[in-house]
Amino acid sequence: MAGSPLLEALVSLPLDLLRGLVRFLRRLSTNKPGFVGFLGLLLYFFATFIMPGSVEFDNEPKLDQITGPIGSRIQLAVHRDNPQWDSLEALAGRTVGVVDQTGGPSFIEPYKEQFTVETYRWTSRRQGPGILAALTDLANQEIDALLIFSKTVSQVIDKQEDEELRGRFQDHILISNPSLGQPHLLGTDTQGRDIASHMVHGGQILILTALIGGVIGTLIALFFGSLSALVGGFIDKFFTALANLFLAIPQFILLVVLAGTIRFDSTLYLGVIIGFLIWPALLRAIRAQVLSLRERDFVEAARSLGLSMNHIIFREILPNMSSYVLINLIFSITIAMYFQIGLVVLGLAPISDYTWGVMIYFGRSRGTLYNQDGATMALAPVLAIALFQVCLVLFARAVEEVFDPRLRSAA
Amino acid sequence: MFRRILLVSALLCALGLLAFAPVQAEDDMLSVAWPYQVPPTGHFNTFASGGITLGQYMDLHEPPLAVLMWATGEYEGMVAEEFGWDDDGNYVIKVADGYSWSDGSPISADDVMATFNIFRLRGDAVWANMTGIEKVDDHTVKFHMSAPSSLAERIILTTNLRPASVFGDIADRAAMMSPDDDGWNALLQELTEFRPETPVSGGPYTILPDTITEASLMLTLNPDGFAGGIQNYDMVQMWNGETEVVTPLVANAELHYITHGIPPTTEEDFANRGIDIVRSGMNNGPGLYVNHAVYPLNMVEVRQAIAHAINRVQNGFVSLGESGVAVEYMTGMSDGLSEAWLSDDTLDSLNTYDYNREGAAALLESVGFSRNDDGHWVDENGETLSFELTFPQEYADWSAAAENATAQLNDFGFDITARGVQFQQHPQDIYSSNFEMAIRNWGLGDPIPGRSYLQAYNRYNGQGEVAGEGGGAGMNFDNDVSFSGGMINVFDVSNASSQGTDAMAQAELVTHLAVSYNELLPAIPLWERYTNNALNRNFISVPDSSEAIFANFGGGADNWMTYLILTGVTAPADMDM
Amino acid sequence: MLNDQQPLATNRQLPATNMSLMAAQLYDSLLKIYRNYTVRVFLQAIITIWAVMTLTFVLVRLMPGNPVDVLVEQILTNEGISYQEAYERVAASFNIDSDATPLDQYFQWLGDLLRLDLGISITSPGTKVIDEIARFLPWTVFAVGSGLLISFVLGIFAGMPMAYYRGSKLDHILSFFSSFSTGVPNYIWGLLIIIVPGIAWRWFDIGALRGTYDAGLTPGLNAEFILSALEHAALPVFTYVIAILGTWMLSMKSSTTGVLNEDYVNVAEARGLKERTVISSYVGRNAALPLFTQLTISIGFVLSSGVVVEEIFVYWGIGHHLFQSITVRDYTSLQGVVLLLTAAIVFSNLFADLTYGLLDPRVRVSGEK
Repeated sequence: MAGSPLLEALVSLPLDLLRGLVRFLRRLSTNKPGFVGFLGLLLYFFATFIMPGSVEFDNEPKLDQITGPIGSRIQLAVHRDNPQWDSLEALAGRTVGVVDQTGGPSFIEPYKEQFTVETYRWTSRRQGPGILAALTDLANQEIDALLIFSKTVSQVIDKQEDEELRGRFQDHILISNPSLGQPHLLGTDTQGRDIASHMVHGGQILILTALIGGVIGTLIALFFGSLSALVGGFIDKFFTALANLFLAIPQFILLVVLAGTIRFDSTLYLGVIIGFLIWPALLRAIRAQVLSLRERDFVEAARSLGLSMNHIIFREILPNMSSYVLINLIFSITIAMYFQIGLVVLGLAPISDYTWGVMIYFGRSRGTLYNQDGATMALAPVLAIALFQVCLVLFARAVEEVFDPRLRSAA
Repeated sequence: MFRRILLVSALLCALGLLAFAPVQAEDDMLSVAWPYQVPPTGHFNTFASGGITLGQYMDLHEPPLAVLMWATGEYEGMVAEEFGWDDDGNYVIKVADGYSWSDGSPISADDVMATFNIFRLRGDAVWANMTGIEKVDDHTVKFHMSAPSSLAERIILTTNLRPASVFGDIADRAAMMSPDDDGWNALLQELTEFRPETPVSGGPYTILPDTITEASLMLTLNPDGFAGGIQNYDMVQMWNGETEVVTPLVANAELHYITHGIPPTTEEDFANRGIDIVRSGMNNGPGLYVNHAVYPLNMVEVRQAIAHAINRVQNGFVSLGESGVAVEYMTGMSDGLSEAWLSDDTLDSLNTYDYNREGAAALLESVGFSRNDDGHWVDENGETLSFELTFPQEYADWSAAAENATAQLNDFGFDITARGVQFQQHPQDIYSSNFEMAIRNWGLGDPIPGRSYLQAYNRYNGQGEVAGEGGGAGMNFDNDVSFSGGMINVFDVSNASSQGTDAMAQAELVTHLAVSYNELLPAIPLWERYTNNALNRNFISVPDSSEAIFANFGGGADNWMTYLILTGVTAPADMDM
Repeated sequence: MLNDQQPLATNRQLPATNMSLMAAQLYDSLLKIYRNYTVRVFLQAIITIWAVMTLTFVLVRLMPGNPVDVLVEQILTNEGISYQEAYERVAASFNIDSDATPLDQYFQWLGDLLRLDLGISITSPGTKVIDEIARFLPWTVFAVGSGLLISFVLGIFAGMPMAYYRGSKLDHILSFFSSFSTGVPNYIWGLLIIIVPGIAWRWFDIGALRGTYDAGLTPGLNAEFILSALEHAALPVFTYVIAILGTWMLSMKSSTTGVLNEDYVNVAEARGLKERTVISSYVGRNAALPLFTQLTISIGFVLSSGVVVEEIFVYWGIGHHLFQSITVRDYTSLQGVVLLLTAAIVFSNLFADLTYGLLDPRVRVSGEK
């Protein structure tokens, strides 16, 4: 047993891989686009796997911030007579107004003790009496300051149709501190929630799902593809025909069926399904590669030396396949990603996690694309996914070049 | 290969140049939208599936007999100039003289006969109360009724008339047969496969078949048709498509009025472009349905606590902006219908389930529930209130409502998981009781109040079995209820309330329905959907939204725009303004 | 690898009756036909199509809801009549024969198919499925086909310099563009094109560009119609080009890089051939060869790739028809479209297999050992 080539391969494979990795990184640093891609992927890993630990998912609807533009934030409004009140400290002991369901109350919560807080009730009108009453009270100096969202200021004060009211607001109300709250880096979504926080939390599952899909697809293709090429005969015919059949099945319909009948408890299961859908094209590529390797001189030599099949597979063919498999793996991850987004955007995948795909889906179906202020809800994830794909592709190309000795010498 | 590149680049250049064709707008054309299928899938047989009916704009080419004024409950005659019950309990209508179809034949009693005989062939609901139809003279038709009812009246009067010159042959043959005859099914097949070559219009406008593309179709003035003489437009352009497709056209001012439900964010963009948003109640909206076979959702206190724990104002606003209006009276009908049909005393006695977490907590505590250390509610056995809430994920407003209701309830101490379901699968899940909590619709765009309860007591309660499909008991609510007003079967009462013509008797039944619903909350209405029609007043002149006429149009089927077109009020805006 | 010789030998030993002789001859000739490579792959293609269609027949019926349910739901939501009433009315307007079992339907459909009859649409009873396909298919073939060809040609010409000047700024810019083009799906490109130049900048009239040609024109070989058709196709074609271009560029780059290192290129250069000759005759031609196969294969898939683009631009082709049929659960229309798409995929694969040897003399058709 000790001499089994399988065992030998199992022992030496991790070592080989590690050594290969070091060599690979050294070579990668000379390939500029590839290195950029690699750094980009590291950045994505950091943003989607590490950052969620420190950024909280904003799940609090804020009714006056619906589709707030990029950079909008809570501001401090005071009467023009008191421009010096430009911070919470300066207001200690005074009356501060907030409107409920606008994010104001939760903002003031930690400082509650220091002020008299006057809460106004939101009503269903957009520029509703809640905010109007608060502004009117501020103009009349019945409250000393008001916490209000920057978009609301422009909407309620500047676009006020009642001219008298608008004049009064403009004459009496001053934004003493335009940057009190945290800015919404990417604006807010259709429920007034911070898009940036959703971006941080929305990538992890998406990328994991694509990874699962890509790995499963590649493994299936690798196993059956090499089997087909090495064994030949009926096995080869069978798997080639099966791959052709799978390629021709209308996946769109298959997915509608799956979406309607299978219950997903986690988006990750989607990765498994995608893996089972993308293998056929890969199988053909891998089969062709193994076939060509089989005919190469060194394999012929090994065969004529009477070395066992195990030896040929694990010591001659597989090591020579590794770069090819790695590249195919990366490409199948991009395909799995593409596939997954397409499913979600078309509304075919079950929506259980708030991923970038779901953001695109809701952003589109809730009409944000036609609203300049709100378009980031759909466009930010589109850009994030596109750039992730770019990094993957750049990286894959670099891997291809690094591993192919002919290309290396030409560079 | 070089030659090919040359060809291709020439093609590209040509394409590029052509794409920048100048924008042109027609001023004397009414530009509206409704989705339709293009031929050969779409066709001019409006009785069969796939027909180009143009939805509410059907009134423009197949005019209605009458239009209901919601505010007064009266019908205003359109093609029918006189109508009403005779002494024998039959319904008689008289068609106005002097109008003709676009193929030249006059609009007469024959058209009414043809239309209703084909309804009989199709098995339409109107024939449930009808025993026969009789042509009295060239313009008068008598409907023989088994029992007079306000429902039958509504169905008859809101019928769009079809031409006897096109459908008369099939209608006459149907009139001579009974459903048990051998040729009946063959005749039905002949009807569904019937393809009139050209559209024949009896209304103010006629579809021009040559202009039908997937983008839009044109309707040209039909001067001799109903209301054809009082129109202010020569042409109507009907754009094709659902919300996402028509939105850019409205933004670009190429399309001037849409009835499509638009998301609040798009609404905001339209408002910034100076486009008016016209709202009116639709008498329906999403509600939170529960499966009454699931403990403890079968406990009325739990349902009431849920109602108190959800801020319906917030829920409506994040879902549909200003058109998501929180339900106030919680009677299972819209607030408008409640106010119209319930006495002031009854209205005062209703529980409005205001947003009140302490109240909700008190209700749960009253049945022995308590909060555990994590702040979650648990029952006497320490079980958390864990449910799954499903919703049709394709519906943008309902999915937002579900998302928000879940967040609010979890914040209150429930443990709810929201799950989106493919929209065609979702109702099937409800019919077969395969759910715990779900977002489905309550109410109905129908002026007859009892019919608002059909969704809760009929469609989502024990309905799958009846149709032989899926099978199941729906939300498992026992329609025999006991409440402060006694014991009733809510399904029977809701049916009974739309029969007969005595408004007082109807009101009493409706009061029972409303009060029992308010006490028991079989499903929790969240908000009422209001229309948010986008209207570009730079192009279209119609009365101001505050005018009384708008109060007359409540539901999806009745639309003020088609009424204003039929009455010749809609006109091009003065472009000099 | 079938064991060819064995059955023939046994058959020849038994010339007992005329019948068995004829059978043997028939078998003999059938086997000969089967052993013909072209015939064999063709047969396999037919079997694949049949298998896919059978699977599709089952799949479409497994989709949630059926054509009646879909319409019943609409009626229930809008009119609120009782379920039975709605169900009966819809069933009547579809004129559905509810007695036929799915198995009956399957054999009925298969029989019709053999007579090249695709049946009649369910949701528009009386309309032939083949008529619907004839209405929608040409536009998709035109738009997607031009998009594919244009992007292929552009990709080949942009991919070569990327390989020649590998590592240069040009390569980096083009690489980034092509990776981006590959990374953003075509429907996102479509939406962006509508929103930015269409609505925000008003470069073109999105309403007038909808549809496949202007209303009122007669399709045919007249200048007006052709111009109009080109105009309407401009945006979808542009979208397809942008979305597919990156793939071709990357493929061409890697293919060219490979060829550049081949001995014969070095030899040609050493022989002092003009650089242009080397680029076009030696490098370009050989690098593009494998891409032609890729092109042939992709033709099969692209027909269904434009579903959302066709919806966005209201350029209704077969993709729209597929989506519409799925939405209303029109089984027969759906089966018709799927048959078409499957056949396109299978036969383009077949075509690629058969022509690969013709294009590249170095490659022999596999299976002819």
